[in-house]
Amino acid sequence: MADFSWDVRSPLDRALVAGPYGAQGEAGVTLTEIRNFDLVQVMARRGKAGEMAKAAKTRFGVAAPDKPEAVGAADATLIWSGPDQFLVLSKGGKHTIEALGPIFAGSASLSDQSHARALISVSGEKARAMLAKLSSIDLHPDVFGVGAAAATSMDHTSVTLWRGADRGGQAAFNLLVFATFAESLWHTILDSAAEYGVTIGHSEEF
Amino acid sequence: MRITCPFCGERELGEFTYLGDAKPQRPVADAGEEAVYDYVYLRDNVAGVMSEHWYHSGGCRAWLKVTRNTLTHEISAVEPAAGAGAAKVGA
Repeated sequence: MADFSWDVRSPLDRALVAGPYGAQGEAGVTLTEIRNFDLVQVMARRGKAGEMAKAAKTRFGVAAPDKPEAVGAADATLIWSGPDQFLVLSKGGKHTIEALGPIFAGSASLSDQSHARALISVSGEKARAMLAKLSSIDLHPDVFGVGAAAATSMDHTSVTLWRGADRGGQAAFNLLVFATFAESLWHTILDSAAEYGVTIGHSEEF
Repeated sequence: MRITCPFCGERELGEFTYLGDAKPQRPVADAGEEAVYDYVYLRDNVAGVMSEHWYHSGGCRAWLKVTRNTLTHEISAVEPAAGAGAAKVGA
């Protein structure tokens, strides 16, 4: 039997070219791909939403989101992804599907999405202007504050969008996109951001 | 047209997929051929207020029951479709 050497790499490995892009001068948009994260989808079984919420509270010390928002726990972010379901985003193997399995046994079904999504962080002075070209969500700070989340579409591609903690005094938005659509959306994002000037990079940290 | 998803809020039409009339109910097992034929194939072409199933495919992936006027596109009610899975649904 042939030996396979599994090479774990980002879905944006090919498309992402670190450095400046688009208009010259001070970059208006910073795009950072976050790599190597654990992502688990948690979906309540029928009639077990209460039990799931209780299990989440015990595990993470915070209430799981029951409306479109992202809730920060000590070592994870819980992101609403639909009614009675949320995503657990973490690093360092603390909240892998193996670790969460027993926690939600009987109350929720889990699905490992760690290698199924790409995570893109969008920040900078022009982040909102750039995202406004792709999204019909109102991202005005009065409406879409820190911790706001949305299951929505950008360029006909389903994404999970949420606003993280501000970075350098500027709003920072996070985008989870299906791995196989990541490259397509990435190019669309670059096209939208080019006029503002872009700084592209990738990081192992949130 | 915009639809106010009970879970996500107001969203553009492009995020939704249309299924059709929400009225037809699956006939009981011994209802007879005619009832099944009616259920599977025959649809009313409503000019006015209609109850429809929509799927929030580009968002939270919930099935919704939308009451819409087919003449004006005015939407008077949106609720989660019964039996769609979420605990809130039909509760």
